[in-house]
Amino acid sequence: MSKQQLTIALAGNPNVGKTTLFNALTGSRQVVGNWPGVTVEQKTGYYQYQGQRYDVVDLPGIYSFLGGSPDEQIARDYIFNEKPDLVVNIVDSSNLERNLYLSMQLMEYGIPMLMVLSMCDITERNGIAIDTEHLQSHLGVKVISATLTKGLDVDAVMQEIAQTVQNPTTPIAPHYDEVVEKALERIQAELKAEDASTARKQALNYLEKELPAELKPELKELIAAEIDGIEKHRGQKVTNVIADDRYAYIRGLARDVINRSKAKKLTYSDRIDKVALSGVFGLPMFFVVMYLVFLVAVKASDPLIGLVEGGLEWLIVEQFGGLLSSWSLPEWLVSLLVDGIGGGIITIASFIPPIFFIFLCLALLEDSGYMARAAFVADKFLTRIGLPGRAFIPLMVGFGCTVPAIMATRTLESKRDRIFASLLTPFMSCGAKLPVYTFLAMIFFPKRADIVIFGLYLFGVVLAMLFGLMLKKTIFKSPPGSFVMELPAYHMPTFRGIMGHTWFRLRDFILRAGKTILIAIILMNLLQLITVPFAGNEEGRASLLELAGRGMAPVLAPMGIGSHNWEAGVSLVSGLFAKEAIVGTLQSLYQRGGTLEAASVNIMQGFGSSAAALAYMVFVLLYAPCAAALAVLFKEHGFKWLAFSFVYLTILAWIMAVLVYQILYFTAASLLWIGVALLLVAAFYYSMKLIGRSESNEFKQA
Amino acid sequence: MNSNKHRNRQRRSRARLFFNPKPCPCERGECVALKELQEDQSAVITRNGNLATLERGLNQGMKITMFRNEPNEPNLIIAVGDARYVLDRRLAAMIMVRVI
Repeated sequence: MSKQQLTIALAGNPNVGKTTLFNALTGSRQVVGNWPGVTVEQKTGYYQYQGQRYDVVDLPGIYSFLGGSPDEQIARDYIFNEKPDLVVNIVDSSNLERNLYLSMQLMEYGIPMLMVLSMCDITERNGIAIDTEHLQSHLGVKVISATLTKGLDVDAVMQEIAQTVQNPTTPIAPHYDEVVEKALERIQAELKAEDASTARKQALNYLEKELPAELKPELKELIAAEIDGIEKHRGQKVTNVIADDRYAYIRGLARDVINRSKAKKLTYSDRIDKVALSGVFGLPMFFVVMYLVFLVAVKASDPLIGLVEGGLEWLIVEQFGGLLSSWSLPEWLVSLLVDGIGGGIITIASFIPPIFFIFLCLALLEDSGYMARAAFVADKFLTRIGLPGRAFIPLMVGFGCTVPAIMATRTLESKRDRIFASLLTPFMSCGAKLPVYTFLAMIFFPKRADIVIFGLYLFGVVLAMLFGLMLKKTIFKSPPGSFVMELPAYHMPTFRGIMGHTWFRLRDFILRAGKTILIAIILMNLLQLITVPFAGNEEGRASLLELAGRGMAPVLAPMGIGSHNWEAGVSLVSGLFAKEAIVGTLQSLYQRGGTLEAASVNIMQGFGSSAAALAYMVFVLLYAPCAAALAVLFKEHGFKWLAFSFVYLTILAWIMAVLVYQILYFTAASLLWIGVALLLVAAFYYSMKLIGRSESNEFKQA
Repeated sequence: MNSNKHRNRQRRSRARLFFNPKPCPCERGECVALKELQEDQSAVITRNGNLATLERGLNQGMKITMFRNEPNEPNLIIAVGDARYVLDRRLAAMIMVRVI
């Protein structure tokens, strides 16, 4: 082979098994990055086959190359600009006609292609047989069948890829209505391209998309005249004419290659949906599933957290700390290595179990096909706050981590919906907040910890609805974008598939959050080590961290966090790096050289009352998202929405925490603070209205 | 009997006369908006000007079955070929179908 490494792009509709094939081909040799210029997750990996390296790119799932959502633009730009050596087009064989639409576009652009028919088990179950050889002869590309979820022969797929790359075939381009073909010919003649296929591809591009500004005026005129002619002749837009003709070709093809052994009746999925989406059972089932997700994440992870913490404490604090002390190293260095870095590792490890279970549940919901159904059920609520039902998926992902949740909003077509949904994702308590809730709830509400934690999750959802209503009435007044979503057939998820999805997400999360938390904890320890003279405490000296915490006290005092509890204030700052760091910082600051049990007692004394602890948890639930989430928000929507999210969420968190504390710990001064909080709510709403006046036009245009 | 060519020419003339850029191929009264379809009722799409749904297979001549149509819900569930879609009622109002 002439090239050192070959690039293979995986393209197809959503939910056809691209990522499953990608994982099977690349195994653990994967890198998750972002597409340049826009934060959309890019997965690349590689494999070696017969001494040749193949780089594999997993493109976002799309229905066509003409859509306006960022993931569709990125898939299109990648294929046309990067020009991969081969596109592996994964086609859901249980829904061949719809999937072939994208294949037609790939074929028209003359890209070397291998077609993999997936979901063959569902196809068989639905009584559909596909004549692959016949299909292959019609399309002019190699077609292979595979059930990607179980028993996939990866070697056979690799062999087919290698053969197709070596001997690429020319796909057969479909023919359009006479009027379109003649228009294409006339434009092709004007283009004077190097070869006929490039000219046809360009001509088709010009008919379907907006014309580039740099095009010659006479060519523009000709194209405009041709478009006008086609539209007059067919009585519809040229894009619709081309789409119609493609489907006409596909329908003919499908008649030739699809054999149905039984008449189309209700499928298994249809029968399940009759119950799962019914007016009677749909909503209760939805709530039961959501509660189960929460229950599994909290209950199943609880014993594991103790095990992981206990094990690592023994290893790092007792064994490693003892070893360092025996070497007579300076105390500050031992403290930095054991309490700082070691404590950071223990903190990171302690939040792995709950996040693992949340990702596991999300993978189960996605792979089984229930996620799309949940979006349909949730749509009734989301429509009331001005979001399309599809926004449910990013919000649900928000329970795992806010970063992929904001990224997931890219599947929404309108800019308004993407920003709106991104602003609501921080309300969903992410997996990183769970260790904070668990830690404090176990100290202050040991008998009712699960109810308190569930209450906080629910409180976040209710506030998201209320904040959403405010956003709808003030900033996002225009109606939400239209909602079209496919309901994939139900699948029996495989153990390997679920664990694969969970592991890849967990690994990314640990790597991303781990770095931030370690830096935050080391920084906190350093600031704790540097002391200056201070008259406000018994020792007469205070660390820089203590000074910063005491400086924040006047602002946090109305929510029960006074200057005596400066450690809690400082922990909130570390939480801006990553929410899990709150637990680590609280523990390391309150430990004061003692054990973890001593830290719990000190925390109890520091907070003083369970009302203050609850108010603190409410603040953690609502205040500004972590640095990683803010960075994604900035990349996706710009500085304006980053600043909005940071400022508004922090103010809202303060208002709610003050209300919770003052109502639960009612004194004479409480009325004043409740009044201040309510005044702030009014000011909050009014300021949003002011922002809305300048933004509404922008969203109308978008 | 008129040929297809002849019928098309007549249709285009009518369209030009009444300035209707998207003539509906049905006779007047036969077409209804997709959102009007009752549950379990089947129809054939006669007109759809929305590209997002067209690309998902809701094109002219395609058979469609209504799976769920609750008036108080913002969306419908439809079956098109082997695919099942949740479809915004606003989009469904723009798609014309002929009940079969």
